[in-house]
Amino acid sequence: MSKIENLELLVVGGGPAGLSAALAAANYGIKVSLAEEREFLGGQLIKQTHRFFGSEKEYAGTRGIDILRKLIDEVNKNKNIEVLLSSRVLGIYEDNVVTILNDHKMKKYYPQSIIFATGASEKFLAFENNDLPGIFGAGAVQTLMNVYGVMPATNVLMIGSGNIGLIVSYQLLQAGVKVAAIVEAAPKIGGYSVHASKLRRLGVPILTSHTIKKAIGKEKVEGAVICELDNDWNEVKDTEQLIKCDAICLSVGLTPLVDLLKQRKVKTTYVSELGGYVPLRDENMETSIKNLFVAGDVSGIEEATAAMIEGQIAGLSVAKRIGKNNKKEIEKRIEEGKNELELLRSGPVGKKIRKGLSKLGLNHGKNYNENFSEEALDISHLMKTGVPSEENLKNKLPSEEKVFDKGPIAISECFQRFPCDPCVKSCPFNAISENGNINNIPYVDFEKCTGCGICVSKCPGLAMFVVHKNFSETTSVVIMPYEFLPRPHKGEIVKVFDREGKYLCDGKVIRILDGKFQDKTAAVSIEIPKRYYLQARNFKVEE
Amino acid sequence: MDENKVIICRCEDVTLKEIRNAIREGFTTVEEIKRVTRSGMGPCQGKTCGLLIAKEISQMTGKPMEEIELQNIRPPYGGITFEEVTKGTITENDK
Ligand code: SF4
Ligand code: SF4
Repeated sequence: MSKIENLELLVVGGGPAGLSAALAAANYGIKVSLAEEREFLGGQLIKQTHRFFGSEKEYAGTRGIDILRKLIDEVNKNKNIEVLLSSRVLGIYEDNVVTILNDHKMKKYYPQSIIFATGASEKFLAFENNDLPGIFGAGAVQTLMNVYGVMPATNVLMIGSGNIGLIVSYQLLQAGVKVAAIVEAAPKIGGYSVHASKLRRLGVPILTSHTIKKAIGKEKVEGAVICELDNDWNEVKDTEQLIKCDAICLSVGLTPLVDLLKQRKVKTTYVSELGGYVPLRDENMETSIKNLFVAGDVSGIEEATAAMIEGQIAGLSVAKRIGKNNKKEIEKRIEEGKNELELLRSGPVGKKIRKGLSKLGLNHGKNYNENFSEEALDISHLMKTGVPSEENLKNKLPSEEKVFDKGPIAISECFQRFPCDPCVKSCPFNAISENGNINNIPYVDFEKCTGCGICVSKCPGLAMFVVHKNFSETTSVVIMPYEFLPRPHKGEIVKVFDREGKYLCDGKVIRILDGKFQDKTAAVSIEIPKRYYLQARNFKVEE
Repeated sequence: MDENKVIICRCEDVTLKEIRNAIREGFTTVEEIKRVTRSGMGPCQGKTCGLLIAKEISQMTGKPMEEIELQNIRPPYGGITFEEVTKGTITENDK
């Protein structure tokens, strides 16, 4: 006879959702086994060197890798969690018996409940020569660079302008790789505007309403032919252009990894807004099969913050179902999690998710505050180009020029409604406000602002600047965030650029804040000719 | 577009042309196409091509995506050796 081990809760997948799920259940006394396919925990978080958005409670403003360290630390300390590394789930059968390949043995388990947090896989794109060496998924590029320290190429064409495409492009630049352009088939940028603006300042073109037609090259990628698309997504005649590059990086979206769920015949349905085929589930993350839960991207593609909260809800739901105590308290915490998700999804960028969820019959009767579901400003130009319009800028500047006479003041260049608030939380003088809702646009109270520059390092979108217009008779100083190496040194002359990456003038570095507090986002004060105080938003150190 | 140069299933090297031919011949589910072309039978088990094939079927037949199912997935999920199977299922008492 073969042996079958009984488990209370099996969590499949050690990414942000799985880790959060395991912790939430284990904290209420559930014995959890956490199976992770790879030899380390973390899922996609191990590659996320950028700061996260979202609310402070879910670690906004903290880098993905640091969030991961905290989660792993808690998991390792928790006596109720047994971590199974290098453990691939091979099968799940009708009687809920699960087989796992662990230590080169196929072992059998009988879990009372299961949470699938298997994440997502990258979508692929059909174009000519799409199997040439040098065509990567964005995830692979990120793994090569951030996990193994390998430079994937020297000049990359990025396909797709969602947050992953934008973030990976930025990380490529940080690694010293050129990004030839970012190509986006839709008429507007898919990711957050602050990420796009960052890249434009660094001189990367973002070509919306464009698509890749074919890859060029004999043995490997040597370039790509792209073309323009009209409003109906048809090719515009005579717009073909050749872009030289040695790699093409595909970042055209993720799709839930439902393979194991399909083995168990969990009901799935196609919801394009959630990335593809998703499991039917209820608000407590339980699927069509009792005691079988999902959390994170496998239940629909969203940000890591949402994945962590979903993990908590799934873990708590299991604790409520099979645990013995604290039912009331658990219920309260589930409710809190649901409210947090609702808040995250209530802005304009959550529209797609809300639509997808309603197709699953999920947010019926939910009263999203419609005040927050539309953009407050006209950001169509910004979302097409990554560069804010004059109107947008005017909206965030002091209404009277004389305000600049008071000394250095913070200027926020964040124009999109999305759930983010580290600027608000970081200001020691309470000078930034989002008017009580994390989805609102932050505004600086110039009366209260002292120009200290703390927010410059804390904003994950690198959208905070401090401008000291009257630094001297003829010069202004702009404090800019800087995340590149080498760092400038005091007194150095650097090249200064505008919001489109165009060279403006030379500037002099007069101060660098780059300590533990800034956590690798240095705040650098650059002295420039006065006439550029409203344009100078980036600089480069000559190597 | 040269359909012969567009790869849909990277594991088994199946082109867009082969997929479209299969659909034209009347194979209009992802599962059938998997069986006649081997698409989705490689190491990734259809993670790359499954969605693309479903979309191609939808486009060519006019069926909405909601009515198209992905291929069946059966255990084991990924490759495993016989030794690994037997090592795990036979306990000390069996020997
Ligand atoms: S510069 Fe300092 S005082 Fe002004 S908004 Fe930023 S953190 Fe607050
Ligand atoms: S300015 Fe504030 S809301 Fe905008 S990206 Fe920065 S921290 Fe987030």
